[in-house]
Amino acid sequence: MLFSSVEFLFRFLPVFMILYLIVPAKYRNIVLLVGSLVFYGVGEPYFVLLFIFSIVVNFCLSRYMFWEPAAPVQNRIQKRRKRRKRALILSLIFDFSMLFVFKYWDFAAGSINRVAGQELVPLLALALPLGISFYTFQMVSYQVDCYRGTIPKPVGIVSFAAYVSMFPQLIAGPIVRFDEVADRMKSRRIRIRNLENGLKLFTLGLGFKVLLANQIGTLWNTIMSAGAGELHPAVAWLGAAAYSFQIYFDFWGYSVMAMGLGKMLGFRIPQNFDSPYASRSVSEFWRRWHITLGRWFREYVYFPLGGSRKGRMRTIGNLFIVWALTGLWHGADWNFVLWGLLFFVILTIEKNSYGRRLEQTRVLGRLYTLAIIPITWVVFAITDIRQLGAYLGNLFGIQQTGVMVGIPQLLRYLQEYGPLLAVCALFATPFPIRWYHKWKDRWFVVVILAGVFWLSVHEIMVGSNNPFLYFRF
Amino acid sequence: MKKQKQPQRKLKEQEQQQKRQIQQQNKPQKAQQEKRQKRDWKAYIYNSPYLILITLTSLAVMFVSDEIGIRAMARDAQMLVCKSYARIPGEQGMVETDSSRLILDESAGVTETLAESVSVNSISREEENRQEVSEAETENAGIRKDENDDLQNDGGLHDGYDSPENGAESAEVHPGVTNFEFYEPVPIESRYYKDAGKVALTTDYSYTKENISYFDDAAFLGDSRTLGISDYAGLEGADFYCDSGMMIFKILEEEVTYQKTGSKVRMDEVLQKKQYGKIYIMLGMNELGYGNTEMYLEQYRQVLKQIRTWQPEAVIYIMANLHVSREKNNMETEFNNININAKNAASASLANGTDVFYLDVNPVFTDEEGYLRSELTFDGVHLYAKHYDAWREFLLEHAVEPAAGIRDAAARNE
Repeated sequence: MLFSSVEFLFRFLPVFMILYLIVPAKYRNIVLLVGSLVFYGVGEPYFVLLFIFSIVVNFCLSRYMFWEPAAPVQNRIQKRRKRRKRALILSLIFDFSMLFVFKYWDFAAGSINRVAGQELVPLLALALPLGISFYTFQMVSYQVDCYRGTIPKPVGIVSFAAYVSMFPQLIAGPIVRFDEVADRMKSRRIRIRNLENGLKLFTLGLGFKVLLANQIGTLWNTIMSAGAGELHPAVAWLGAAAYSFQIYFDFWGYSVMAMGLGKMLGFRIPQNFDSPYASRSVSEFWRRWHITLGRWFREYVYFPLGGSRKGRMRTIGNLFIVWALTGLWHGADWNFVLWGLLFFVILTIEKNSYGRRLEQTRVLGRLYTLAIIPITWVVFAITDIRQLGAYLGNLFGIQQTGVMVGIPQLLRYLQEYGPLLAVCALFATPFPIRWYHKWKDRWFVVVILAGVFWLSVHEIMVGSNNPFLYFRF
Repeated sequence: MKKQKQPQRKLKEQEQQQKRQIQQQNKPQKAQQEKRQKRDWKAYIYNSPYLILITLTSLAVMFVSDEIGIRAMARDAQMLVCKSYARIPGEQGMVETDSSRLILDESAGVTETLAESVSVNSISREEENRQEVSEAETENAGIRKDENDDLQNDGGLHDGYDSPENGAESAEVHPGVTNFEFYEPVPIESRYYKDAGKVALTTDYSYTKENISYFDDAAFLGDSRTLGISDYAGLEGADFYCDSGMMIFKILEEEVTYQKTGSKVRMDEVLQKKQYGKIYIMLGMNELGYGNTEMYLEQYRQVLKQIRTWQPEAVIYIMANLHVSREKNNMETEFNNININAKNAASASLANGTDVFYLDVNPVFTDEEGYLRSELTFDGVHLYAKHYDAWREFLLEHAVEPAAGIRDAAARNE
């Protein structure tokens, strides 16, 4: 189930919220758990079983980590340490092999077969369970935190399952750490102000997703439909800008919706985006884009590898590993690896030379970031390597057979999408969010948000009623 | 007594103030400590105008709206029950095999004559359908009546076309025949379409091959895919009237973009003012999830009738809607080639082979199963710019020689 669907907005959410509000506080976690599983199961009836299985295995292993034999034994401390390590390794193997089989098997097998020139490893052609990348990372973070002692006491199955499956962040993050919700998981009060502000935040995110991301996405689709290879540089850059806006508002919108829903439920879900397109360097961009993922890789990969404390070469090596994995996490294809490694190169250069100085400039740094980021998104967006090469060529004025999509088309696109592009650009700056926080209790914001809500619903309706009108062929 | 009460009240006020501060800062630890207070409903309402606004409007919409309200829920539940019944005999697999067969038949059959395809098909066909086919074999009618569908061909369109000039023309040249290939239709649960059980083929006719100037007095009406022809096929002479999202239901009633100037025009005015030698129409993609096939056909019929009264001399080409790719083909929604075929077959039934022709460009771009070849498209719907050349060649190879009367009309225009 998607947040931006009639089923969620007018079926699931009201029913769930009413149940959640009327049950006594001690049953709220159960309602949350069941609701989340229903939320997940409606779209993925089979994968919900896999998900539950995964939760149970992880829960048992985390409990094993805390388990102490009743009888006194020799070398208690040592044995405990061994047990913890064993449990952690088992859970890591389990979680990552699940992720590998469902997400990366075909990619790995295909690559091996291509290198070998024959069918060595069979392809499985498994469908990707929704949100598996997110919930796997969340479970791993829980296990590691247990191992490290950040989570001092074992938690009950309901709390653990509710934490992993919490529907606001189940499908598209943010990747929440257990200690961020631990207190609220024990007890929380529903406050009318939180319901109010949560719903407002949710509406904001819904608007980003439906009114901005989906709409600007058609421009990218139109340009890509004409075909990479024959684009005028201006058209190619317009396409890259459109895709940059689309992915930002799509993902940010989803994160804001998650924050809003979390607030309504009485949790605090961490912020995932902080105006990344206003960054002054690519390093800063990654401190502001998908913050919880960056944090995950920093805490659970980069620091354990030694971070930047083991000499320059080790640092570069660690960065390489982190960025190759970040790329792979986003998708099982070579262009994602390439995308991650592109960031590795850029960040290594920035870290060792001009990065610091660039961040002190006001204009130059931003222009630099805005020039580089759209290129990286093109690498992200185009899976076909040959097509990717063609598009990157177009960005710099290299066409295969001459310009086919030129200035006349550009003018038409600008005429059609100009106002939308302007709105997207405005919302990519930090100002609208500042204004929102300043005036969110004023009546005119309430009216505007209500307008956004119903306009979004209208768009969703038009889309679901006539999915083709929505794409507009 | 009084003295005692006052400090209490002060204390309470302080507490409230504190609480308000806490609420603003939203600190979880302090919130737990504070006492539970008597609920102040007025404050609740005052504090949550947005929540109340959305809840009330949602309730109102739930009662009023047909789409998201209670009625929709009932409909969904009904659909769910129906689906679970229909699914029992393993219908899912059937859909797949049948759809692939359908598509196989179609593209293989482009060069086949109808008789051959009948021999292939009749093996699996039921008795009643066989009768139909034998009817089809008597190739004497431009439009074939089809009982299998509810589409009623009352011949009204024919009458509209039978202007004296056309009658004379068709006496000299053999009229074309629009053939269909039949197959076992797949049961579809959709209010938008049914499997037509037949695939329309390009009107069988002795087309001539023309050069690019053939399009100098041509008009193209269509949606975003016609826009692609306008942009990339290099038909400089032709007039394109098309927009993304254009529908047969809108083409004469709403404004459409004239691609040469980028200005919005109304087709009814344009077609009354300027005489065209050829009119190409390709509409139907945006109708896949709108109304149903019968409505589509009826509207198409009306549009052709209307255009014919304004453009008595023009050759009208009904262009088949291009199929979608395998990745885009989705049996769960209305967005699939069976639906596109149903729309195409409906519009093809309006081709009479004398002045209205049906052109199926699909064989040029589809694989042997009828899916749009994935290397030709990014989104599974639109061709890459460079492949529109093939479309132009197809149109040039399927040209109907302009009749003398039409040529005069073109001359008069200039």
